[in-house]
Amino acid sequence: MKIHRAIPVAVLSVAGLVPLWQYEAHTASTTEVAAEAGVVPEAQTSSEAPSATAPDGSGYGTGTPPATTTTKPPATAAAKTVNGKLVKTVHGDVQVQVTFTGNKITAVKLLKQPNTGPTKSAVPTLIEETLQAGTADVDSVSGATQTSEAYVQSLQSAIDARGN
Amino acid sequence: MLAGVRRVEHIMGFPISVDLRDGDERSHDAVEGAFAWLREVDARFSPFREDSEVARLSRAELEPADLSDELAHVIDLCDFYEESTGGAFTSWLPGRGFDPCAIVKGWAVQGAAEMLHDAGARRFCVNAGGDVVTFGESEPGVPWRVGVRHPERADQLCVVLELRDGAAATSASYERGDHIIDGRTGEPARGLLSITVVAKDLTTADAAATAAYAMGVEGIAWAAAQPGCEVFAVDSQRRVFRTPGLPVAA
Repeated sequence: MKIHRAIPVAVLSVAGLVPLWQYEAHTASTTEVAAEAGVVPEAQTSSEAPSATAPDGSGYGTGTPPATTTTKPPATAAAKTVNGKLVKTVHGDVQVQVTFTGNKITAVKLLKQPNTGPTKSAVPTLIEETLQAGTADVDSVSGATQTSEAYVQSLQSAIDARGN
Repeated sequence: MLAGVRRVEHIMGFPISVDLRDGDERSHDAVEGAFAWLREVDARFSPFREDSEVARLSRAELEPADLSDELAHVIDLCDFYEESTGGAFTSWLPGRGFDPCAIVKGWAVQGAAEMLHDAGARRFCVNAGGDVVTFGESEPGVPWRVGVRHPERADQLCVVLELRDGAAATSASYERGDHIIDGRTGEPARGLLSITVVAKDLTTADAAATAAYAMGVEGIAWAAAQPGCEVFAVDSQRRVFRTPGLPVAA
Protein backbone atom coordinates (compact mmCIF):
# COMPACT_ATOMS: atom_id res chain seq x y z
CA MET A 1 0.00 0.00 0.00
CA LYS A 2 2.74 2.38 0.92
CA ILE A 3 4.80 1.64 -2.12
CA HIS A 4 1.74 1.52 -4.30
CA ARG A 5 1.12 5.16 -3.52
CA ALA A 6 4.66 6.20 -4.06
CA ILE A 7 5.49 4.46 -7.29
CA PRO A 8 3.44 6.70 -9.59
CA VAL A 9 5.41 9.60 -8.20
CA ALA A 10 8.63 7.95 -9.21
CA VAL A 11 7.21 7.31 -12.65
CA LEU A 12 6.35 10.97 -12.97
CA SER A 13 9.86 11.88 -12.04
CA VAL A 14 11.33 9.63 -14.67
CA ALA A 15 8.77 10.64 -17.23
CA GLY A 16 9.65 14.22 -16.47
CA LEU A 17 13.28 13.64 -17.24
CA VAL A 18 12.92 12.25 -20.68
CA PRO A 19 11.08 15.03 -22.47
CA LEU A 20 13.44 17.61 -21.05
CA TRP A 21 16.37 16.15 -22.85
CA GLN A 22 14.35 15.48 -25.90
CA TYR A 23 12.72 18.85 -26.18
CA GLU A 24 15.40 21.18 -24.96
CA ALA A 25 18.34 19.83 -26.80
CA HIS A 26 19.37 23.32 -27.85
CA THR A 27 20.18 24.25 -24.27
CA ALA A 28 23.82 24.03 -23.36
CA SER A 29 24.93 20.85 -21.70
CA THR A 30 26.21 20.78 -18.18
CA THR A 31 27.57 18.02 -16.06
CA GLU A 32 25.80 19.09 -12.90
CA VAL A 33 23.46 16.44 -11.60
CA ALA A 34 20.46 17.29 -9.49
CA ALA A 35 20.79 14.75 -6.74
CA GLU A 36 18.30 16.23 -4.35
CA ALA A 37 14.77 15.02 -4.07
CA GLY A 38 13.03 15.24 -7.39
CA VAL A 39 9.53 14.75 -6.12
CA VAL A 40 8.56 15.06 -2.50
CA PRO A 41 5.13 13.68 -1.75
CA GLU A 42 3.36 15.77 0.81
CA ALA A 43 -0.02 14.13 0.81
CA GLN A 44 -1.11 13.84 4.41
CA THR A 45 -4.80 13.22 4.46
CA SER A 46 -6.61 12.82 7.70
CA SER A 47 -8.19 9.60 6.48
CA GLU A 48 -4.88 7.86 6.24
CA ALA A 49 -3.13 6.17 9.10
CA PRO A 50 -0.68 8.63 10.65
CA SER A 51 2.02 6.04 10.95
CA ALA A 52 1.92 5.44 7.24
CA THR A 53 1.95 9.03 6.09
CA ALA A 54 3.39 11.28 8.74
CA PRO A 55 6.27 13.47 7.66
CA ASP A 56 9.43 12.68 9.52
CA GLY A 57 10.82 16.14 9.04
CA SER A 58 14.03 14.99 7.48
CA GLY A 59 15.26 13.97 4.13
CA TYR A 60 13.72 16.77 2.14
CA GLY A 61 15.79 18.02 -0.71
CA THR A 62 17.50 21.35 -0.47
CA GLY A 63 15.07 24.17 -0.85
CA THR A 64 12.02 21.96 -0.63
CA PRO A 65 9.80 23.28 2.10
CA PRO A 66 7.04 21.13 3.50
CA ALA A 67 3.92 22.12 1.69
CA THR A 68 1.05 21.20 3.91
CA THR A 69 0.39 22.41 7.39
CA THR A 70 -0.72 19.04 8.70
CA THR A 71 1.47 17.98 11.57
CA LYS A 72 1.49 14.52 12.96
CA PRO A 73 3.76 12.58 15.25
CA PRO A 74 6.95 11.56 13.53
CA ALA A 75 7.02 8.06 12.26
CA THR A 76 10.24 6.25 11.71
CA ALA A 77 10.45 4.18 8.61
CA ALA A 78 13.41 2.48 7.08
CA ALA A 79 14.74 4.00 3.90
CA LYS A 80 14.50 1.83 0.84
CA THR A 81 16.37 2.47 -2.38
CA VAL A 82 14.93 1.41 -5.71
CA ASN A 83 16.53 1.75 -9.12
CA GLY A 84 14.33 2.90 -11.97
CA LYS A 85 14.27 1.34 -15.38
CA LEU A 86 16.85 2.40 -17.90
CA VAL A 87 15.18 4.87 -20.25
CA LYS A 88 16.69 5.51 -23.65
CA THR A 89 16.51 9.03 -25.07
CA VAL A 90 17.95 10.57 -28.18
CA HIS A 91 20.66 12.06 -25.99
CA GLY A 92 21.57 8.87 -24.20
CA ASP A 93 20.37 6.63 -21.42
CA VAL A 94 18.70 7.83 -18.25
CA GLN A 95 18.34 5.86 -15.05
CA VAL A 96 17.33 7.18 -11.68
CA GLN A 97 17.62 5.81 -8.20
CA VAL A 98 14.83 6.69 -5.80
CA THR A 99 15.03 6.50 -2.02
CA PHE A 100 11.74 5.96 -0.22
CA THR A 101 11.25 6.62 3.46
CA GLY A 102 7.88 5.21 4.30
CA ASN A 103 5.77 6.21 1.33
CA LYS A 104 7.73 9.37 0.73
CA ILE A 105 10.42 9.89 -1.84
CA THR A 106 13.32 11.42 0.01
CA ALA A 107 15.92 11.42 -2.73
CA VAL A 108 16.21 11.00 -6.45
CA LYS A 109 19.64 10.39 -7.87
CA LEU A 110 20.65 10.10 -11.49
CA LEU A 111 22.53 6.84 -12.01
CA LYS A 112 22.89 7.42 -15.71
CA GLN A 113 22.59 10.72 -17.47
CA PRO A 114 22.89 11.74 -21.09
CA ASN A 115 26.00 13.53 -22.21
CA THR A 116 23.99 16.33 -23.73
CA GLY A 117 20.88 18.22 -22.82
CA PRO A 118 19.99 20.53 -19.98
CA THR A 119 20.87 18.28 -17.10
CA LYS A 120 21.11 21.27 -14.81
CA SER A 121 17.36 21.68 -14.76
CA ALA A 122 16.51 18.13 -15.70
CA VAL A 123 14.97 17.23 -12.38
CA PRO A 124 12.64 20.07 -11.49
CA THR A 125 11.64 19.73 -7.90
CA LEU A 126 7.96 19.11 -7.38
CA ILE A 127 5.96 18.86 -4.20
CA GLU A 128 2.96 16.58 -4.03
CA GLU A 129 -0.05 17.72 -2.06
CA THR A 130 -3.64 16.74 -1.63
CA LEU A 131 -6.25 18.63 -3.59
CA GLN A 132 -7.90 21.26 -1.44
CA ALA A 133 -11.29 22.88 -1.90
CA GLY A 134 -12.44 26.01 -0.20
CA THR A 135 -13.31 29.64 -0.42
CA ALA A 136 -11.20 32.68 0.35
CA ASP A 137 -11.21 36.40 -0.10
CA VAL A 138 -9.40 36.99 -3.37
CA ASP A 139 -8.92 39.81 -5.86
CA SER A 140 -9.18 37.62 -8.94
CA VAL A 141 -9.67 34.01 -10.01
CA SER A 142 -7.56 32.02 -12.43
CA GLY A 143 -9.30 29.21 -14.27
CA ALA A 144 -9.56 27.67 -17.69
CA THR A 145 -10.91 29.95 -20.37
CA GLN A 146 -14.28 31.01 -19.18
CA THR A 147 -16.87 31.40 -21.87
CA SER A 148 -18.97 34.49 -21.57
CA GLU A 149 -22.03 32.37 -20.77
CA ALA A 150 -20.30 30.58 -17.93
CA TYR A 151 -18.89 33.81 -16.65
CA VAL A 152 -22.16 35.06 -15.22
CA GLN A 153 -22.09 32.15 -12.79
CA SER A 154 -18.43 32.35 -12.04
CA LEU A 155 -16.54 33.57 -9.08
CA GLN A 156 -14.97 36.32 -11.10
CA SER A 157 -18.35 37.80 -11.90
CA ALA A 158 -19.09 37.99 -8.20
CA ILE A 159 -15.80 39.74 -7.61
CA ASP A 160 -16.48 42.24 -10.37
CA ALA A 161 -19.99 42.86 -9.04
CA ARG A 162 -18.70 43.41 -5.53
CA GLY A 163 -16.49 46.29 -6.57
CA ASN A 164 -13.61 47.56 -4.52
CA MET B 1 -7.61 61.77 -6.26
CA LEU B 2 -9.63 59.57 -8.56
CA ALA B 3 -11.21 56.38 -7.36
CA GLY B 4 -10.23 53.08 -8.94
CA VAL B 5 -11.68 51.85 -12.20
CA ARG B 6 -13.41 48.54 -12.89
CA ARG B 7 -14.44 47.62 -16.39
CA VAL B 8 -15.59 44.37 -17.98
CA GLU B 9 -15.95 43.76 -21.69
CA HIS B 10 -16.60 40.56 -23.58
CA ILE B 11 -14.01 40.24 -26.35
CA MET B 12 -12.69 37.16 -28.16
CA GLY B 13 -15.50 35.13 -26.62
CA PHE B 14 -14.64 35.65 -22.98
CA PRO B 15 -14.94 38.38 -20.38
CA ILE B 16 -11.98 40.66 -19.78
CA SER B 17 -12.03 42.65 -16.57
CA VAL B 18 -9.72 45.47 -15.57
CA ASP B 19 -9.31 46.34 -11.90
CA LEU B 20 -7.30 49.56 -11.70
CA ARG B 21 -6.54 50.72 -8.17
CA ASP B 22 -4.53 53.85 -8.87
CA GLY B 23 -3.61 56.17 -11.70
CA ASP B 24 -4.81 59.49 -12.98
CA GLU B 25 -6.93 60.65 -15.86
CA ARG B 26 -4.29 59.59 -18.35
CA SER B 27 -4.10 56.00 -17.15
CA HIS B 28 -7.86 55.83 -16.80
CA ASP B 29 -8.16 56.89 -20.42
CA ALA B 30 -5.68 54.16 -21.26
CA VAL B 31 -8.23 51.58 -20.14
CA GLU B 32 -10.24 52.57 -23.22
CA GLY B 33 -7.14 52.16 -25.34
CA ALA B 34 -6.41 48.75 -23.85
CA PHE B 35 -9.88 47.45 -24.69
CA ALA B 36 -9.58 48.95 -28.18
CA TRP B 37 -6.33 47.02 -28.64
CA LEU B 38 -8.02 43.78 -27.58
CA ARG B 39 -10.87 44.36 -30.05
CA GLU B 40 -8.26 45.01 -32.75
CA VAL B 41 -6.50 41.75 -31.88
CA ASP B 42 -9.81 39.92 -32.13
CA ALA B 43 -10.42 41.39 -35.59
CA ARG B 44 -6.92 40.64 -36.85
CA PHE B 45 -6.08 37.32 -35.18
CA SER B 46 -9.34 35.42 -34.84
CA PRO B 47 -9.33 32.22 -36.93
CA PHE B 48 -13.12 32.50 -36.91
CA ARG B 49 -13.28 35.79 -38.83
CA GLU B 50 -12.90 35.25 -42.54
CA ASP B 51 -11.16 38.56 -43.14
CA SER B 52 -8.63 38.26 -40.28
CA GLU B 53 -4.90 38.02 -40.96
CA VAL B 54 -4.92 34.58 -39.35
CA ALA B 55 -7.74 33.29 -41.57
CA ARG B 56 -5.97 34.64 -44.63
CA LEU B 57 -2.74 32.95 -43.58
CA SER B 58 -4.70 29.71 -43.10
CA ARG B 59 -5.96 30.00 -46.67
CA ALA B 60 -2.38 30.64 -47.85
CA GLU B 61 -3.35 34.12 -49.03
CA LEU B 62 -0.47 35.77 -47.19
CA GLU B 63 3.13 35.60 -48.31
CA PRO B 64 5.84 35.79 -45.64
CA ALA B 65 6.53 39.36 -46.75
CA ASP B 66 2.88 40.26 -46.15
CA LEU B 67 2.87 39.26 -42.49
CA SER B 68 2.47 42.08 -39.99
CA ASP B 69 5.15 42.34 -37.33
CA GLU B 70 2.61 41.25 -34.73
CA LEU B 71 1.54 38.15 -36.65
CA ALA B 72 5.16 37.24 -37.35
CA HIS B 73 5.85 37.49 -33.62
CA VAL B 74 2.84 35.28 -32.79
CA ILE B 75 4.02 32.69 -35.31
CA ASP B 76 7.49 32.74 -33.74
CA LEU B 77 5.94 32.10 -30.31
CA CYS B 78 3.81 29.25 -31.69
CA ASP B 79 6.87 27.68 -33.31
CA PHE B 80 8.90 27.99 -30.12
CA TYR B 81 6.34 26.15 -28.00
CA GLU B 82 5.66 23.56 -30.67
CA GLU B 83 9.34 22.70 -30.84
CA SER B 84 9.82 22.86 -27.09
CA THR B 85 6.96 20.40 -26.44
CA GLY B 86 7.95 17.97 -29.16
CA GLY B 87 4.82 18.83 -31.10
CA ALA B 88 2.33 18.29 -28.25
CA PHE B 89 1.44 21.95 -28.52
CA THR B 90 0.47 22.85 -32.05
CA SER B 91 -1.24 25.77 -33.72
CA TRP B 92 -1.84 23.93 -36.99
CA LEU B 93 -4.52 21.26 -36.68
CA PRO B 94 -5.88 19.08 -39.45
CA GLY B 95 -9.17 20.50 -40.63
CA ARG B 96 -8.81 23.62 -38.52
CA GLY B 97 -5.97 25.41 -40.19
CA PHE B 98 -3.86 27.90 -38.29
CA ASP B 99 -5.32 28.56 -34.83
CA PRO B 100 -2.95 30.58 -32.64
CA CYS B 101 -5.64 31.45 -30.06
CA ALA B 102 -3.73 29.84 -27.20
CA ILE B 103 -0.76 32.12 -27.82
CA VAL B 104 -2.66 35.22 -28.91
CA LYS B 105 -4.72 35.46 -25.75
CA GLY B 106 -1.88 35.78 -23.26
CA TRP B 107 0.21 37.91 -25.56
CA ALA B 108 -2.64 40.32 -26.33
CA VAL B 109 -3.68 40.73 -22.70
CA GLN B 110 -0.08 41.23 -21.61
CA GLY B 111 0.14 43.96 -24.24
CA ALA B 112 -3.03 45.59 -22.92
CA ALA B 113 -1.62 45.55 -19.39
CA GLU B 114 1.62 47.13 -20.57
CA MET B 115 -0.38 49.89 -22.24
CA LEU B 116 -1.91 50.71 -18.86
CA HIS B 117 1.51 50.63 -17.23
CA ASP B 118 2.97 52.90 -19.93
CA ALA B 119 0.17 55.36 -19.18
CA GLY B 120 1.21 55.56 -15.55
CA ALA B 121 -0.93 52.91 -13.86
CA ARG B 122 1.04 51.05 -11.20
CA ARG B 123 -1.50 48.98 -9.27
CA PHE B 124 -3.87 46.98 -11.42
CA CYS B 125 -5.04 43.51 -12.31
CA VAL B 126 -6.44 42.28 -15.63
CA ASN B 127 -8.36 39.01 -15.79
CA ALA B 128 -9.04 37.67 -19.28
CA GLY B 129 -11.22 34.59 -19.14
CA GLY B 130 -9.35 33.23 -16.14
CA ASP B 131 -5.86 34.34 -17.13
CA VAL B 132 -4.58 36.99 -14.75
CA VAL B 133 -1.86 39.60 -15.05
CA THR B 134 -1.01 41.90 -12.15
CA PHE B 135 1.11 45.00 -11.80
CA GLY B 136 2.26 46.28 -8.43
CA GLU B 137 0.16 45.39 -5.40
CA SER B 138 -3.54 45.52 -4.60
CA GLU B 139 -2.81 47.85 -1.68
CA PRO B 140 0.55 49.20 -0.58
CA GLY B 141 2.34 46.24 1.00
CA VAL B 142 -0.39 43.77 0.04
CA PRO B 143 0.08 41.42 -2.92
CA TRP B 144 -2.74 40.57 -5.29
CA ARG B 145 -4.56 37.47 -4.08
CA VAL B 146 -5.43 35.24 -7.01
CA GLY B 147 -7.48 32.12 -6.37
CA VAL B 148 -7.14 29.09 -8.62
CA ARG B 149 -10.47 27.53 -9.49
CA HIS B 150 -10.96 23.99 -8.26
CA PRO B 151 -10.93 21.76 -11.36
CA GLU B 152 -14.12 19.97 -10.39
CA ARG B 153 -16.04 22.51 -8.36
CA ALA B 154 -16.73 25.82 -10.04
CA ASP B 155 -17.57 27.59 -6.78
CA GLN B 156 -14.42 26.49 -4.94
CA LEU B 157 -10.74 27.37 -5.01
CA CYS B 158 -7.94 24.85 -4.67
CA VAL B 159 -5.13 27.28 -3.89
CA VAL B 160 -4.66 31.02 -3.43
CA LEU B 161 -1.63 32.68 -4.98
CA GLU B 162 0.00 35.98 -4.06
CA LEU B 163 1.22 37.96 -7.05
CA ARG B 164 3.23 41.15 -7.38
CA ASP B 165 4.06 42.12 -10.95
CA GLY B 166 3.28 38.59 -12.04
CA ALA B 167 0.85 36.58 -14.10
CA ALA B 168 -1.05 33.33 -13.65
CA ALA B 169 -2.74 31.26 -16.35
CA THR B 170 -4.70 28.03 -16.06
CA SER B 171 -5.42 25.40 -18.68
CA ALA B 172 -8.12 22.79 -18.14
CA SER B 173 -10.96 21.12 -19.96
CA TYR B 174 -13.72 21.73 -17.40
CA GLU B 175 -14.96 24.85 -19.11
CA ARG B 176 -14.85 24.11 -22.82
CA GLY B 177 -14.50 20.33 -22.96
CA ASP B 178 -11.64 18.54 -24.65
CA HIS B 179 -10.52 21.52 -26.70
CA ILE B 180 -6.78 21.13 -26.23
CA ILE B 181 -5.34 18.56 -28.60
CA ASP B 182 -2.08 16.71 -28.07
CA GLY B 183 -0.50 17.40 -31.44
CA ARG B 184 1.61 14.23 -31.17
CA THR B 185 -1.47 11.99 -31.19
CA GLY B 186 -4.25 14.21 -32.55
CA GLU B 187 -6.29 13.19 -29.52
CA PRO B 188 -7.58 15.46 -26.76
CA ALA B 189 -5.11 15.88 -23.91
CA ARG B 190 -6.49 14.13 -20.83
CA GLY B 191 -3.57 13.58 -18.47
CA LEU B 192 -4.29 16.63 -16.34
CA LEU B 193 -7.44 18.06 -14.78
CA SER B 194 -5.85 21.48 -14.73
CA ILE B 195 -2.48 23.20 -14.71
CA THR B 196 -1.68 26.71 -13.57
CA VAL B 197 1.56 28.45 -14.48
CA VAL B 198 2.84 31.56 -12.73
CA ALA B 199 5.36 33.67 -14.64
CA LYS B 200 6.58 37.22 -14.86
CA ASP B 201 4.32 37.93 -17.84
CA LEU B 202 1.07 36.50 -19.15
CA THR B 203 2.48 35.68 -22.58
CA THR B 204 4.75 33.10 -20.94
CA ALA B 205 2.27 31.90 -18.32
CA ASP B 206 -0.58 31.32 -20.78
CA ALA B 207 1.54 29.68 -23.46
CA ALA B 208 3.31 27.42 -20.94
CA ALA B 209 0.04 26.39 -19.27
CA THR B 210 -1.58 25.49 -22.59
CA ALA B 211 1.51 23.72 -23.89
CA ALA B 212 1.95 21.76 -20.66
CA TYR B 213 -1.71 20.75 -20.65
CA ALA B 214 -1.34 19.41 -24.19
CA MET B 215 1.63 17.30 -23.03
CA GLY B 216 -0.32 15.68 -20.20
CA VAL B 217 1.40 14.49 -17.02
CA GLU B 218 4.88 15.02 -18.41
CA GLY B 219 3.90 18.64 -18.99
CA ILE B 220 4.17 19.27 -15.24
CA ALA B 221 7.92 18.74 -15.22
CA TRP B 222 8.27 20.47 -18.56
CA ALA B 223 6.51 23.60 -17.27
CA ALA B 224 8.49 23.50 -14.03
CA ALA B 225 11.68 23.59 -16.10
CA GLN B 226 10.63 26.66 -18.10
CA PRO B 227 12.66 29.71 -17.05
CA GLY B 228 10.86 31.78 -14.44
CA CYS B 229 7.81 29.51 -14.27
CA GLU B 230 6.14 28.13 -11.15
CA VAL B 231 3.57 25.39 -11.48
CA PHE B 232 0.44 24.07 -9.75
CA ALA B 233 -1.04 21.01 -11.45
CA VAL B 234 -3.82 18.54 -10.71
CA ASP B 235 -3.48 15.23 -12.52
CA SER B 236 -6.33 12.97 -13.55
CA GLN B 237 -6.01 11.11 -10.25
CA ARG B 238 -6.56 14.40 -8.40
CA ARG B 239 -3.02 14.54 -7.13
CA VAL B 240 -1.53 18.00 -6.85
CA PHE B 241 2.04 18.69 -7.92
CA ARG B 242 3.55 22.11 -7.45
CA THR B 243 6.93 23.75 -7.54
CA PRO B 244 8.46 24.87 -4.23
CA GLY B 245 8.68 28.46 -5.46
CA LEU B 246 4.96 28.80 -6.13
CA PRO B 247 3.77 31.96 -4.30
CA VAL B 248 1.08 30.30 -2.18
CA ALA B 249 -0.79 32.58 0.21
CA ALA B 250 -0.26 31.73 3.85
